[in-house]
Amino acid sequence: MADFLAQYGFLIVTLVQAGLLGLSLYFPLQAGQLSLASPGFYAVGGYVAAILLTNPAYAGLRETLGQGVFPLTWLAAALLCGVLGLVVGVPALRLRGIYLALATIAFVEILRVVSLNLEVTGGAVGIFGIPQAFGFGERWQYIFLFGPLLVLTLLFARQLERSRVGRAFRAIREDELAADAMGVPPTRYKVLAFVIGAVLAGVVGAMSAPFLNTWNARQGSFDASIAILAFVLIGGSRNIWGPVVGGALLTAIPELLRFLADWRLVINGLVLVVASLYLPQGIVGALERWRRRPPPRRPVPAPSPAELRGGRRTP
Amino acid sequence: MELSQLVQNLLNGLAIGSVYAIFALGYTLVFSILGIINFAHGAVFTLGAYFTYTLVVGQFENNGLLRGVNLFPQGSPFAGSPWTFALATLIGAVVAGLIAVLIERLAFRPMRARGAEPLLALVSSLGVALVIVNLIQLLVGAEIYNFPANAYGEVRPALSFQLGERVVIIRTVQLIIFAVSLVMLAVLGYVIGRTRVGKALRAVAESPGTASLLGISVDRFILITFFLSGVLGGLAGTLVGTAFGVAGPYFGVTYGLKGLAVIVLGGLGSIPGAVVGGLVIGLAEAFVPGDYSAYKDAVAFALLFAILLVRPQGLLGRTQIQKV
Repeated sequence: MADFLAQYGFLIVTLVQAGLLGLSLYFPLQAGQLSLASPGFYAVGGYVAAILLTNPAYAGLRETLGQGVFPLTWLAAALLCGVLGLVVGVPALRLRGIYLALATIAFVEILRVVSLNLEVTGGAVGIFGIPQAFGFGERWQYIFLFGPLLVLTLLFARQLERSRVGRAFRAIREDELAADAMGVPPTRYKVLAFVIGAVLAGVVGAMSAPFLNTWNARQGSFDASIAILAFVLIGGSRNIWGPVVGGALLTAIPELLRFLADWRLVINGLVLVVASLYLPQGIVGALERWRRRPPPRRPVPAPSPAELRGGRRTP
Repeated sequence: MELSQLVQNLLNGLAIGSVYAIFALGYTLVFSILGIINFAHGAVFTLGAYFTYTLVVGQFENNGLLRGVNLFPQGSPFAGSPWTFALATLIGAVVAGLIAVLIERLAFRPMRARGAEPLLALVSSLGVALVIVNLIQLLVGAEIYNFPANAYGEVRPALSFQLGERVVIIRTVQLIIFAVSLVMLAVLGYVIGRTRVGKALRAVAESPGTASLLGISVDRFILITFFLSGVLGGLAGTLVGTAFGVAGPYFGVTYGLKGLAVIVLGGLGSIPGAVVGGLVIGLAEAFVPGDYSAYKDAVAFALLFAILLVRPQGLLGRTQIQKV
């Protein structure tokens, strides 16, 4: 067991983390909004934690709080990302369709360029030597942070779906104008969905900074946006398990393909193409459809004697 | 700001802005017809530059599977004269156009045929981009390849003139970029506005269903659109490559993202909008003061945000009509 954890612990935590990031994109998608901002908030959350945990300016705070500083970083990241989500979401979400996706790409890029140039974020080098959370000695122990967060998020998502807010999200997703006419204010709910995703991504970032030990501008990039989008769409965007399954699978595949060495990244791209062609409902969607497969409409015709003898069926 | 500095920035901005414009037009053409963004466009840009480089130099030295290959032991027939260089650029752009056609066949058409969610086309086109970028890396490595200084013959590298106290310098390459971009814009404007093909393209953009009822083969015109888009992307790649070097397989990514800012700024789906957006972003970048040049790459995206706040349909876009 110890060997197994030593070898795969990091990977297992990464799978859970990917699932969580997938979920952060799933919330806005619930309300029909395609946001690619998750890596931006993830990066901000990570920077908040990294700065609070390493910057000499906060040495006093760390001494007073002891291990309590870690939950504080999560809280700070959640707050900051929530506010940032409001600031970005309100203008971007007045618009429909592809605009939000493009605005969020812009948001991630601006954050990346800014974090490359600020002193407090360590510039191009980033921030290193981030202390391990709660003095964890091994990487797999981070499952005690990401695991409960995943469970909580899933429970929250389930409750949300059944609530008035969840129904409003779905109404907006299906038909924004009709929802508006029925007294569901679209912009308010769209911003809410966006902010929930932002807060989640921020907390995941704050937990990931100690996990990864270093934090730099590469954490929030356009590539990451697309990777997370792929988690959700390939896992399945209509079910809370979709992003989790997609995130875990798409994070595991590159590991499984390690033997392909240099060809791995090429195959990765092919996986995206093939999955979007053959699993349009996502993996979870396909499984659901398979489980509820309707009975065949026409009975399969019995083979004629000629066919049994090896002849071809004439249409 | 001194007059000479102003003129210098203006010239730099127009040169890079015109490349942004023709590159972003590739996005616009596809968007106006399919209503989706082809995220593989940045990869096509990169390919265009590599194809031209292969024709003009044909040597990839240090890394990758093609290391040590020399296509032209006697020297490339395409190097050494402006005309052969132009021919190589054209071939590179056309091959890039064909690759774009291939992308449509492999990643977009099957999606349409299945009636899949349009969002998935974003993922599949990105998948294609990943494949292309990583294949390039496998084949020729990640380093920067520079076109030799005399690849297009003995041309003066720069023109300069005195303006007030200072000298304004225009690199020949900038002039060429600007001229080629203008010519491409004129050609495209002619094709779209004045020919039968253009008429059919506009019909498909307006309504694919109606166009197909009128006897226009929609799939064929989508292929033509992708071809045009790929040619523009590939050409932009070569132009940027000649000015700044072919900077590795990921060199299209930045342009790919800035292109998005360009089309939103100009107005999604608007052809004149892409041109105006490209020039505005090019000029805005050129006027970033030297002290803040590290933030240059953020300018395009800041403008994108600003336009969303003030005029969401873009500078020249049509207001979206809400349909019930």
